[in-house]
Amino acid sequence: MFSRNLRNICRRYSQNVTFRTVEASPAQQNDNQIGLFYTMDKNLSKKLFGQGGLPKSYMKQTKTFTETSLMVRQPALDVIECIKSSDLNQPAIRYVLYGEMGTGKTLTLAHLIHYAHDDGFLIVHVPGVSQWLWKVPRLKEMSNSQTREGFVDLPLDAAAWLLHFKSQNQVLLKNEDLKISKEYVWSKRETTPAGAPLADLVEQGIARVKYACDVIDALVYEIKQLSNNNKCKTFVAVDGYNCFFYPRTRLSTPTKKVVMSEEVSLTTSFMEITKNDWKNGVIVVTVEDISVPRDHQESYLPRYLLYKKGFEHLDPFVPVKVDRYSEKEFLTCASYYRDRLWLRGPEQLESELKLASACNPYKFMELCAPL
Amino acid sequence: MRNLTLILLNRCQSQLSRCAFNSTVKITQNRFYSRPTSFPDYYQNPIFRKEDQAKLIENNDLSKLATTPFRPPASYETSSVYHDPIVNKVINHVMEDGKKQLARSLVEKAFENIKRIQIERYHLATTPEEKSKIILSPKDVLHKAIENCKPLLQLTPIKRGGITYQVPGPITEKRSLFLAIKWLLDAANEKDRTVHFPEQFAWELLDAANNTGKVVKRKQDLHRQCEANRAYAHYRWQ
Amino acid sequence: MSVFIKYNKPGSLGTIFNVQVLWRFNSTTAETVRKEEDEEFRVLDILKKRDRQQKRTARKVNIQPDRADRMATDQNWGNVWPGPKTFHPSSVPLPLRQGYVPKGQAPPGKKANAELMKIPNFLHLTPPAIKTQCEAIKKYCTEWPKLLNSEDAIEKHYPVEVITSDYCHASPTIRNPLARIVHLRVKLSTLNLDKHAKDKFLRLVGDCYDEKTDFVTFVSDRCPMRKQNLDYVNYLLTACYHESWNVEEWEKEKCEDDMEYYDWDNNASKKSLVNWHLRCNNQEINLTDEEYKNYDISKISNANGYKEAVSSLMNDGENEDTVKNYGSAVRKLFGLPERKFVQS
Repeated sequence: MFSRNLRNICRRYSQNVTFRTVEASPAQQNDNQIGLFYTMDKNLSKKLFGQGGLPKSYMKQTKTFTETSLMVRQPALDVIECIKSSDLNQPAIRYVLYGEMGTGKTLTLAHLIHYAHDDGFLIVHVPGVSQWLWKVPRLKEMSNSQTREGFVDLPLDAAAWLLHFKSQNQVLLKNEDLKISKEYVWSKRETTPAGAPLADLVEQGIARVKYACDVIDALVYEIKQLSNNNKCKTFVAVDGYNCFFYPRTRLSTPTKKVVMSEEVSLTTSFMEITKNDWKNGVIVVTVEDISVPRDHQESYLPRYLLYKKGFEHLDPFVPVKVDRYSEKEFLTCASYYRDRLWLRGPEQLESELKLASACNPYKFMELCAPL
Repeated sequence: MRNLTLILLNRCQSQLSRCAFNSTVKITQNRFYSRPTSFPDYYQNPIFRKEDQAKLIENNDLSKLATTPFRPPASYETSSVYHDPIVNKVINHVMEDGKKQLARSLVEKAFENIKRIQIERYHLATTPEEKSKIILSPKDVLHKAIENCKPLLQLTPIKRGGITYQVPGPITEKRSLFLAIKWLLDAANEKDRTVHFPEQFAWELLDAANNTGKVVKRKQDLHRQCEANRAYAHYRWQ
Repeated sequence: MSVFIKYNKPGSLGTIFNVQVLWRFNSTTAETVRKEEDEEFRVLDILKKRDRQQKRTARKVNIQPDRADRMATDQNWGNVWPGPKTFHPSSVPLPLRQGYVPKGQAPPGKKANAELMKIPNFLHLTPPAIKTQCEAIKKYCTEWPKLLNSEDAIEKHYPVEVITSDYCHASPTIRNPLARIVHLRVKLSTLNLDKHAKDKFLRLVGDCYDEKTDFVTFVSDRCPMRKQNLDYVNYLLTACYHESWNVEEWEKEKCEDDMEYYDWDNNASKKSLVNWHLRCNNQEINLTDEEYKNYDISKISNANGYKEAVSSLMNDGENEDTVKNYGSAVRKLFGLPERKFVQS
């Protein structure tokens, strides 16, 4: 009885603030919806992020909340507007999302990927670079590259990524227009002829894990070609991009030599696609301090995290800051949590949590957990 | 003899209820044991809860305390909305080697697990009656679990004629609270190495709140033992 | 004397002397009276029990009044206390008190007061005494140069400033270890160094340079004598000055990576901007480094703002403001809408 009353109070309270918007398409969202939550279609979220792409803690929340809801926030709208207003026939523009830990860079990226999917972009999304290079298990499958001297392959990761790519672009890969431009010879018996659909290339990589890294290399080249020829438009999203530029990695060869990050073949492929020497593309990367080790986490600003090398590689780019919650965003988030039963209790709780979390979205979520 | 036990039980219960009443009044404030401090004995414990302070102001008792020296509140004695003495107590019981932060995080993680499980159940429940039965607040779950685990009697070993008898007797409120928390933690620590403490603790709390599970059984076992040994009850005063 | 001891409490000394004098006077008169009576009537002492006790007569001491009390008020103090000396109560006609006492009592007076003798005094350094001393040595001094009539003139002609400290003492030794320390101060702008020399000089002197006041200060306390320290700071200044004009072979190896100053024109940032511009116009990209360096960016719209933004980001260090500036410069360059800041 008590809890029912409480729930009624909660509901009544949550009705005071509108926290939901029915506008589920990111392309249609505008400034009026800032701070409101929109719910992503279940199948879509499974398709886009089934293989990764959302933070672990957020995935847990989606299970508890029984829905995948994202808050419409200013940085995402800002980038969408920029994409809309820019001319795609110009060289690809690079956007760098930066901000403190837990402010929602990855979720902003997810929002943008949703937009890109709705807008018919071919999505090249790397969910976590740090899982490849830094936050790795002790025994990681790796081998020396056979095609390129002195490089290291991560075949399993590459195959997993191809799978991710395939599931994100299910619809577009069926398009007959996407054909590869030249013939690839993998071994004596295995070749992919010129003019074969792009999906074949991907399938080849998934089926023959040994060649997955080379497939990605070829894929990157082909995607650039296709985009240049106006066959498709491409949306590149890389999470934790600065990990490519942190000099060392956690990987080591059987001879105990530490692998440098530029010696990993995946690094070169994705460096290639983030250059601006191709058209019809949008590149959004995030730089995070938590994807590199502690000794390089003093600042969250892009120049520091990317080092000089990465800065020169990306320059000129558009830095987009993902900030903490504003007053309004915090209130809608709190009422959303109340609606989802995640937050309960008297109203003073909000002001206390606001101070305790300093409006940091992740911290706010964490602080609500034991209440 | 049966009568005697009954009386004893009754007396215990009345005592308990009185204790419980007292505790609901007092528990927001008092520590159960003295904190080692450099302050002299006549320093009073701080009144740090806003509701207690409001009560003082209402009864015009504030001026009486104006000249009384008070100890400063400890770091965990806050006027925060989510301050709960029982939760503090449980955290202190979980704590080993003074690692309070770890203990706190473990308990909070257990709460989070409880919350997730209960919310899931809530969403699975079909009828509103079922939904209303589910306690969603992990703190309420903890309170209920502890209430359900508190024993009403205890056995004290008394030596008579070279034989040690397990003699049933009443239990103080403080000790029954201690036993309840201890049993819950014992049960939670009795687990596989692959299971994490917060998960197991969450399950134990949910079971106990539901009046089932290992701990409630342990309490009932004790009660049964007391009932069986009621013939020895007179040894308490002879 | 017993009375004196009895009353010898700190704080009541002033009255003691009076009491002493009173008692002495009284006792002597009483004694003479009693003697006269003895002669008049001699009592036969048959039992002879009373032992003859010779009455002790108080020694008559001729105590002169204190010298301090006898001093004339218009005397020449310099003659009384000509040089440094330990405190002597009779020479100082001042009602001095010194010493720690319990609360509420006055500190003990100057007589037999070790506290006053312990501390150094400057009784020989009264203004008239100093004045007469100065008068006496004036004949050895030369005249002050007329052209050095203002601070600015002094600063201009004598930019090097040497600061030392002298210490007055009343103790047996007139030396103070602190007197050996020598500060040498000079304004950096008066040294007339060129860009390279100035840079090197600043690197050489390190912390000795104060940016706010533009002063280079050398301090030396390493030698036991002031003369030696003075020589040393002079040597330091000379050595640093001449060394900063030297250009060593390895100094030519300094490059951009040392990040002393970020010159945008030499850097990859300009290259990527030019490349981007050429790509936008579908031109071929085959420029040499020299051509990149001399490429005229004024043809590209909004490129100057971009250049400044990158330079400030690199030179002023990265912070929220410089990154924001950089962002808006890049947006202008690409023709993207400005970021909106929503009021919340």
